[in-house]
Amino acid sequence: MTDGLRVTGLHKRFGDIEALRGIDLEVPRGQLVGFLGPNGAGKTTTMRGVLGLVAMDAGKVSWDGRPMTEDDRHHIGYMPQERGLYPRMMVHEHIAYMGRLAGLDRAAADKRAHQWAERVGLADRGGDLIQELSTGNQQRVQLAVALVHEPALLILDEPFAGLDPVAVATLSEVMEEQVARNASVVFSSHQLELVQDLAEHVTIVAAGETQATGTVTELRGRSPVRHFEVHWAAETPDWSPPNGSRRDAPPRTSRFVVPADTDAAVLIADAATYGDVAAVSFEPPGLDEVFLELVGQ
Amino acid sequence: MVKEVAWREIRTRARTKSFKWITGILVAAAVAGPVIATLVPDNVTEELREVTIGLVGVDQGVEDQILAFTKGGLDVTFQDLSGLSSAGVEQALSDDDVDLVLEPGPTLVWDRAKDYEVAAAVYAVLQQQELLVKGRALGLDQGDITELLTPAAVEERFANEADASEGVTIFVSFLGLMAAFMLPQIFGQLTLMSVVEEKSTRVIEVLLNHLRPRTLLMGKVLGVGALAVLQLVVVVSGLTAALMLTDFVEIPPSVWRFVPVILVSILGGLAIYNTLFALLGSLISRQEDASQVMMPVFIPLMAGFFVGQVAITGNAESVLVRALTLFPLTAPMLLPLRVARDAIAPWEVALTLTLLAFGVWLLVRIAGRVYEFTLLHTGSRIGWGQLVRLSRGATLD
Repeated sequence: MTDGLRVTGLHKRFGDIEALRGIDLEVPRGQLVGFLGPNGAGKTTTMRGVLGLVAMDAGKVSWDGRPMTEDDRHHIGYMPQERGLYPRMMVHEHIAYMGRLAGLDRAAADKRAHQWAERVGLADRGGDLIQELSTGNQQRVQLAVALVHEPALLILDEPFAGLDPVAVATLSEVMEEQVARNASVVFSSHQLELVQDLAEHVTIVAAGETQATGTVTELRGRSPVRHFEVHWAAETPDWSPPNGSRRDAPPRTSRFVVPADTDAAVLIADAATYGDVAAVSFEPPGLDEVFLELVGQ
Repeated sequence: MVKEVAWREIRTRARTKSFKWITGILVAAAVAGPVIATLVPDNVTEELREVTIGLVGVDQGVEDQILAFTKGGLDVTFQDLSGLSSAGVEQALSDDDVDLVLEPGPTLVWDRAKDYEVAAAVYAVLQQQELLVKGRALGLDQGDITELLTPAAVEERFANEADASEGVTIFVSFLGLMAAFMLPQIFGQLTLMSVVEEKSTRVIEVLLNHLRPRTLLMGKVLGVGALAVLQLVVVVSGLTAALMLTDFVEIPPSVWRFVPVILVSILGGLAIYNTLFALLGSLISRQEDASQVMMPVFIPLMAGFFVGQVAITGNAESVLVRALTLFPLTAPMLLPLRVARDAIAPWEVALTLTLLAFGVWLLVRIAGRVYEFTLLHTGSRIGWGQLVRLSRGATLD
């Protein structure tokens, strides 16, 4: 039994298109999970399925070890991929309204709206209409709307898209704060470096199926290849490992992709017979390469 | 939650410039109408025609008698022409200084044409004087003469007696018909645009995270409907206040008898049409498609309005009027005016209101069902065939 969100075997067909063909996703409480996949992989449909916006053909969505109920869904904070705000509502009014819909009383909703407007850096724009804000500031409002009721589960669909670095930093901080208060946070993003920095766990989906899930370290470790890099003290000698392929490298550096089961010590010893080795690194590929390997692109 | 959604609709729509302007203009028109209408009759219709009668050697008592006969019909003044020659009298007539001259004889002198209204009054006076003289000559005493001159007691009656309140009744019926015709159109379209806005801005995804589609639908219909009622109340209050303050017309008590029916009908009309417009709004994702999808709704609205216009002054009990009164989409326009004209039986009123309530309930159920599947649909418009299938319980692919 898992505390938090557990999605198993989600299937969904839209006419002739099989959008989901068995999606599994786990977002335990107090954890930040990156939900990755190429366009059309089924991320948004899965999120909508969790929210109950789209009825699934098969599969289970459970919360804290039991089937998710409508009441549980009131405790979800959702930030959709295509932002959804009323253009002619004022910032504070909008945040408070969503708080009211999520079940807060009027006083609590007002108080939280002030707090969240301040937290996302819009304290002085509370009386402005949404349509008067820049796209970046509208996204800040969207974040405040998703968080005003302090949800137990936070679902963010492409939250970093179009944000400036300052807003990215704010959003990252807020997400970590939510994890710290034991919320389950799942987000999708195509900015894999950001995901690697933020998320401890990731789930990668492609063509409607879950391809891999685990910690970033685990997924990188599961790669069938390693990156072997040698920094030479002098000119780069004409050396390459017997079963490696060369990659572009700056002067006095050699980079190779070698099978994961390669003995690094043997490689280093062999390289040292060709030149003076200043430093070496033997690492699994980054999340971006792991992602490409898994989704077959 | 329904209250929250409704309240948001009221707040955000009521503060738009267009709503404020339209309400302001309607109130101004409602107040200005009776005020202007009160001012105009004072200057025109209540002014009496002026007539000047020239007198040549006639007793003073004749003036008083002519004035008594013409009171309320003519504004008569007299001019003493006793010093003038016959040519001078004719010159006074030619110069329009006087309209006629009464000379001894008695003789009436006109310029070119005879004014029969003035002549009738003068003849009556001269006739009385003649009777007085002859009565005295016959030795009758004053009491007999007075008895003789007492006018006959004539009673009058009309085949089609005009009811003093009929004009007001027709006016109020017409206002009710206009309100039942215009309000669902204006505020129904507002409801539709509100649904399309929620779909096109994708805020619907966030809303449905917390709300059932039916809750959202009910809140929207009630909120926009309340706004329509608010506008109506403000405008009618202005009109009623203006009517009472200006004393332009007296509102007969019979009007208050059918005002509740007008209000109930308008509320029913707003409920059924707002729901219908919301349902149609959920079929599209772009405002550009709105006119196409709204078209069918105008058919019953126009039918009710035109049949209602005829029924206000014409036959309010024809088969067509009676049939359309029972149909929930036209009932809000026809029921009030038939009640106003006393052209409907109590059981028909009860049946109409029951059918209207049932129509609203049924439509809300169907719309709630369809709403669940159409709100998140984007892209091309959902066709009528798909709509029928959805309303029967099918799902969208």
